[in-house]
Amino acid sequence: MAKTIDACGLTCPAPVLLVKDAVEKGSGDLSVLVDNQASCENVERFLASRGYTVAVEEKDGVYTLNAEGKGVDEGVPGSEKSAKNISLDPNESQKVVVLIMADKMGHGDDELGAKLMVNYIKTLKELGPDLWQLIFVNSGVKLTIASSPVLDELKGYSDNGTIVLACGTCLEHFKLMEQKAVGSATNMLDIVMATQAADKVITLG
Amino acid sequence: MRELDFPTDENVLVGTATADDAGVYKISDDLALIQTVDFFTPVVDDPYTFGQIAVANSLSDVYAMGGVPKTAMNIVGYPMATMGRGPLREMLAGGAAKLREASTVLLGGHSVEDAELKYGVSVTGFVHPERILCNQGLHGDDCLVLTKALGTGIVNTAIKGGLASAETIAEVSELMAALNRIAAQIIQQYEISACTDVTGFGLIGHLAEMIAGTGTGVKLVVEDIPFLREAYDFAAMGLVPVGAHNNRRFRENMVLAPQGFDPVLRDILYDPQTSGGLLFGCRQEDAEQIVMQLHNEGISHAAVIGTVVKTGKDEIQLIG
Repeated sequence: MAKTIDACGLTCPAPVLLVKDAVEKGSGDLSVLVDNQASCENVERFLASRGYTVAVEEKDGVYTLNAEGKGVDEGVPGSEKSAKNISLDPNESQKVVVLIMADKMGHGDDELGAKLMVNYIKTLKELGPDLWQLIFVNSGVKLTIASSPVLDELKGYSDNGTIVLACGTCLEHFKLMEQKAVGSATNMLDIVMATQAADKVITLG
Repeated sequence: MRELDFPTDENVLVGTATADDAGVYKISDDLALIQTVDFFTPVVDDPYTFGQIAVANSLSDVYAMGGVPKTAMNIVGYPMATMGRGPLREMLAGGAAKLREASTVLLGGHSVEDAELKYGVSVTGFVHPERILCNQGLHGDDCLVLTKALGTGIVNTAIKGGLASAETIAEVSELMAALNRIAAQIIQQYEISACTDVTGFGLIGHLAEMIAGTGTGVKLVVEDIPFLREAYDFAAMGLVPVGAHNNRRFRENMVLAPQGFDPVLRDILYDPQTSGGLLFGCRQEDAEQIVMQLHNEGISHAAVIGTVVKTGKDEIQLIG
């Protein structure tokens, strides 16, 4: 039974992204509904690029794309860190994503907040192999640059298999892209997919 | 809106009757006013960069008419309640930086509360009435030159979908924020038959406007047309903006493509551009020199992309 994705009412690039998500979750045959020709052509091209055979039917302005075949995941062009590196292995232990939204922990006193954050990141090792991804956004990205007080700890986590990601838009915003010293720059899709695929998401900042 | 009767007088040199880049109004025998306005919703997340792009895009219409921008007014729709003052300040600072680069002063502006952010400027420029560059007027045997790479619409769609890397965003932002000022200055030294800037209708759409109703054909050498490599990759996975599909449906009856022409490349030729490059016709003997000068000034994508042929038929032929 083919999985049905209803993308009616959505405009580009949303239909392609929905289908991409399904393909990357390993769905087999797919049936995709869209309500405009542009989305139809885009989704058809996407599915073809991932190795599907696509048949299109149109009725009353609704296009049904029936896609058969085993998708080929080619990753995302122009983005080294594509959704590919999100593992979905069910045998893994609990997958914890820690989303760090600021370079300080809590509000009240910034000096104290900075110390607490350093302490928190050092103590994260207690999570052991469950620490799947460490994602830094907003001013949190300042913890990934060369002068970071937790640079050694983050490198240690990274060496032990934790995926360390820093929001590219945020690095650009603070003009820190050049200074990033650990992990990879990431985008919102990776972050959305990581938080979705995680067993637990811890947000702080 | 052709059914509407807009006011006009004998000093209107370029008005609403032709689909040109900006309006031109004659003040005296040696001075005419160019006026244009454009604004749009953000194409990148960073407010400063978006401000730069919005202003570069608005200024471009004046350059495409052969003019020099002089004054500008901000037009802002802004969700103050949800976004606060910070991003607004950054966006206007980005815009101001581009105006400064263009030696154009800001005289004022107007803002309204709006659920969706919009920004642009209205620009007034000067041009000598005999030096106006219209979008029609290509001569047979002219070379066609394009000064910026295509593909910004496709890459912006990928950015919207969160699929573009930080490096790609930086590359496309720089391209969109680049002024057409230097290119406009360079072509002033040559005999230019027609000029426009490539924006929402894509390369083919704007080219079609340049030749529509003139009995002029154009041969485009597809392998010489500059485009962003990432745009090709994203288009190949179906990240093509609706505008590109609409542009194609509107103009494909004017286009002759070889059999089996790559549909991905085709979509790039119809891709709506934000703050695209200048597209102009020049004499064949000047083309190489012009492109060399553009390259020397850092306009590295500039290339001769085709030639004009007087066929008696408005037709764009793709070679390649």
